[in-house]
Amino acid sequence: MLSFILILLAALFFTGVINRTKSILSGRKGPGIFQPIKDIIRLFKKGMVYSNTTSLIFQLAPTIYFSSVIMAMLVVPFGQSKGFISFHGDFIFFAYILALGKFFSIIAAMDTGSSFEGMGASREALYSMFAEPAFFILLGSMALLTGQTSFQEIFATLHLGSPISYALAVLAAFVLGMIMMIENSRMPIDDPKTHLELTMIHEVMILDNSGFDLGLILSAGLLKFSIYGALIVNLFIGMFPYEYTIPMFFAIQVLAAVITGTIESFMARFRMSHNAQFIFALTSVSLLIFFGVLMLLGKFI
Amino acid sequence: MVELINLSWIIPLFAIVVISIIPSKVKPYVAVAAVILGSLATGWLAVNALISQVVDFAFYAGTFLGNVPIRIDGLSAWFILIINFTAVTGAIFGTGYLKAYQNSSSKLALHWSLFVLFHFSMVWVCILQNGFAFLIAWEIMSLSSMLLVIFDHHNSQTIKAGINYLVQMHLSVVFLTVGFIWVYSQTGSLSFDSIRTFFQTNSNRWLFLVFFTGFGLKAGFIPLHSWLPHAHPAAPSHISGVMSGVIVKLGIYGIIRMISYLQSDFILLGEIIITLSVLTGIYGILNASVHRDFKKMLAYCTIENIGIIGIGIGIGLIGIGTQSPLMYFLGFGGALLHVLNHSLFKSLLFYSAGSVYQQTHTRDMEKLGGLFKSMPKTAFIFLIGAIAIGGMPPFNGFVSEFIIYSGLIEGIHTDSIYQIMLMIMVLAGLSVIGGLSVLTFTKTFGTIFLGQPREIPQHKPHEVSTLMLVPQYFIIAFMMSIAFLPQVFLNIIKVILDGMSHPGFIDSISISFYSKTAANIGLYSLFFIGLMGMIWLIRSSVMKRRRMATGTTWGCGYIAPNNTMQYTGKSFSKPLGKIFTFLLIEKKRFKELKPGEIFPEKRNYDSHYLDFFEFNFIETITKYLIKWSGYFRFIQNGRTQSYVLYGIVFILLLFLLTIFNIIR
Repeated sequence: MLSFILILLAALFFTGVINRTKSILSGRKGPGIFQPIKDIIRLFKKGMVYSNTTSLIFQLAPTIYFSSVIMAMLVVPFGQSKGFISFHGDFIFFAYILALGKFFSIIAAMDTGSSFEGMGASREALYSMFAEPAFFILLGSMALLTGQTSFQEIFATLHLGSPISYALAVLAAFVLGMIMMIENSRMPIDDPKTHLELTMIHEVMILDNSGFDLGLILSAGLLKFSIYGALIVNLFIGMFPYEYTIPMFFAIQVLAAVITGTIESFMARFRMSHNAQFIFALTSVSLLIFFGVLMLLGKFI
Repeated sequence: MVELINLSWIIPLFAIVVISIIPSKVKPYVAVAAVILGSLATGWLAVNALISQVVDFAFYAGTFLGNVPIRIDGLSAWFILIINFTAVTGAIFGTGYLKAYQNSSSKLALHWSLFVLFHFSMVWVCILQNGFAFLIAWEIMSLSSMLLVIFDHHNSQTIKAGINYLVQMHLSVVFLTVGFIWVYSQTGSLSFDSIRTFFQTNSNRWLFLVFFTGFGLKAGFIPLHSWLPHAHPAAPSHISGVMSGVIVKLGIYGIIRMISYLQSDFILLGEIIITLSVLTGIYGILNASVHRDFKKMLAYCTIENIGIIGIGIGIGLIGIGTQSPLMYFLGFGGALLHVLNHSLFKSLLFYSAGSVYQQTHTRDMEKLGGLFKSMPKTAFIFLIGAIAIGGMPPFNGFVSEFIIYSGLIEGIHTDSIYQIMLMIMVLAGLSVIGGLSVLTFTKTFGTIFLGQPREIPQHKPHEVSTLMLVPQYFIIAFMMSIAFLPQVFLNIIKVILDGMSHPGFIDSISISFYSKTAANIGLYSLFFIGLMGMIWLIRSSVMKRRRMATGTTWGCGYIAPNNTMQYTGKSFSKPLGKIFTFLLIEKKRFKELKPGEIFPEKRNYDSHYLDFFEFNFIETITKYLIKWSGYFRFIQNGRTQSYVLYGIVFILLLFLLTIFNIIR
């Protein structure tokens, strides 16, 4: 349960910190770090506009998307405390429940009958498909290294081995960080601040959402950020007592947000046509981790 | 017990006679009644076999066959129950689906008598344990299903698909016959028990691979899959539902049956099957994602699911080889559960696709759109099927995929580095399959049911009749029971697997642990549904106090959008198709614009995808076969004189051979 509360707290400021970093780096003062939350609260209070083309699916989708993210959040552990849901192979559940949310956000975009939203939906489906093997090879290697199969046990056992496992943890943090960027449609995969619908992915899918539904989608986005941040944190905190790990959690989350902001300030988005290859290249990093694990275990003779 | 077995063939025979004489209005109902009664008879036996005792006896079938053993053990019982459920839903759905043909009495009579025969032969495939008798039942099944496929026999495409199916099924029979004759030549018996004797004394791998090829043709492993994408779209939807749900699974039944006799070579065969299966899965779903004929897409998706089932079988085999009862349980258990799950959601998808076809008379999804508004129930049914087949919680597909995933993760913890690498690669492959099926089914569902109609339909589509909807509701109810109570089904599977392995091989402690995990997954699924309901309630209560408005879709400032500007299914999957051009062969037909052409004329553009294996291998082989047999065409020249000559030459040849003592 601890992880649930921590993730909620981190979600409050994560996107705000990204935006603040970006504004400082571009020489502006920028909005406060709670501005995204204030925006969402404002959206919750607003009325809604629906397109004539849409059906019930369009109204159901944000709810299901949001619930799937909440459900995924319940799986994430924090150090020695298990997530609300924890069983052998829970990372499969994690990946598939997020896929369900994605399924609905994709069909909701197709429900509007807009060519732009269909385009975004197609890209979202393709890119998240390419990110899957990286995640599974990563967790498979972790399971191999630790001999465990649930998130909490994997992360807890990771620290009992040799210090080299921390080197692998850094690589794993990179992979998870990139998956975080893909899942949240940030740079270098997608540019949330672009003004051209043709070059958007996630933003274009929610063009027709408004009011409460848009609020749900945006808050799910905030949560997704801190969920992946929490996974990264888990790679490093191990079984330390809470008085160290909780500050570490927030420090790493803020660091992740600052890094994201910095990347977005100094990098351009990748070419859309090369995104798929780029995302699939993540799998090779995961394979690197896998071979590292094999070496650690002395399987190579 | 014997009475019930007898009943299972008396009912169909009686029904076939009745169907041919009664008025065409009542024909379907008699068929449904016959299928239900037959199902009850064999279903009762199957349930008995699962609970207490294996049904086992023999009947005397002439001097050549001798005593034909009939046995219903756990494995047969599992498949019999699956066959019965799908056949019953298929028959009821078909009653509504074929309403339009009420006046063509002979067509209906043939169709429904064949359906009854088809059901009967499938059940008997599962219970006959003598090679020759098995092949007879197998052949009745293939022939009756082939005749069912060509229901719409005025269409030349349908006939072509039917002949393709017929030829490939006989290739499968050739392999099976070779296998049984091989066993016969070594052991002198055709009964299935002698296969075990054969495996005890001879090399295991070759005979098994012969059987695997034979059964794999039925199941649709690559590169033996090419009949599926032709036969499924051509058949009426309830037939494609039953074929894809069950007949394909009988190939799996054969493979698992043969595995239960294997004595050695487990790891090698497991590695072969698991590699082939993951490739089958990826190949199937890749093709499914690009096709615009939605029944063809479902056929390719069947190939994908056979791949997933095959992965389970491979894990199970490796589990036997490495003496890991847990892998054995997770592998075969996942495979058997996925067989059940797939038979449910695939028949569901085919039925709802059939409802769409019945209302719109097209299988081309690019002509459809916006059907959610006119056929909301069918749309929801299709959506549930799509989510379940993608393996996403809270539906049943997740349970079986989860068990197969667990088997893979269990398989990682071994000493052999090759096995570890294989398992990791399969894990990645399975995750790609999952991701691609999300892409495929969002595309299909989105294009058919959402947005607006891309072409103005000739008749306004309506929701289909209750008769067609009810069997689909039954399937959904069954699916939900697996999703929420998976432990019940896992315990049944444990009984089956116990019966298949040496006694005491399965250790109960770790397995009861997994069934507890599965039970938890059921609870989490319920919890998830509760969570969604809660958020939905909050949303609706907030909505009451808010202003609602409707408008047009945001068109980026363009004020005259029309329906053809919607994103098409083709463009949805085009980026994927571009990445995999080496597997997905696209053929385009269009006239190039000439450089000096000032006033372009009206022109057509047509593009479709070809099957890699069919285009590169099968068509080349058949091309050479036809060319070769062309050289012998002079033999059949239509002149009576030469035919008389052939007879004389033949007699002369016999005469000479006898004189020189070459034949006696």
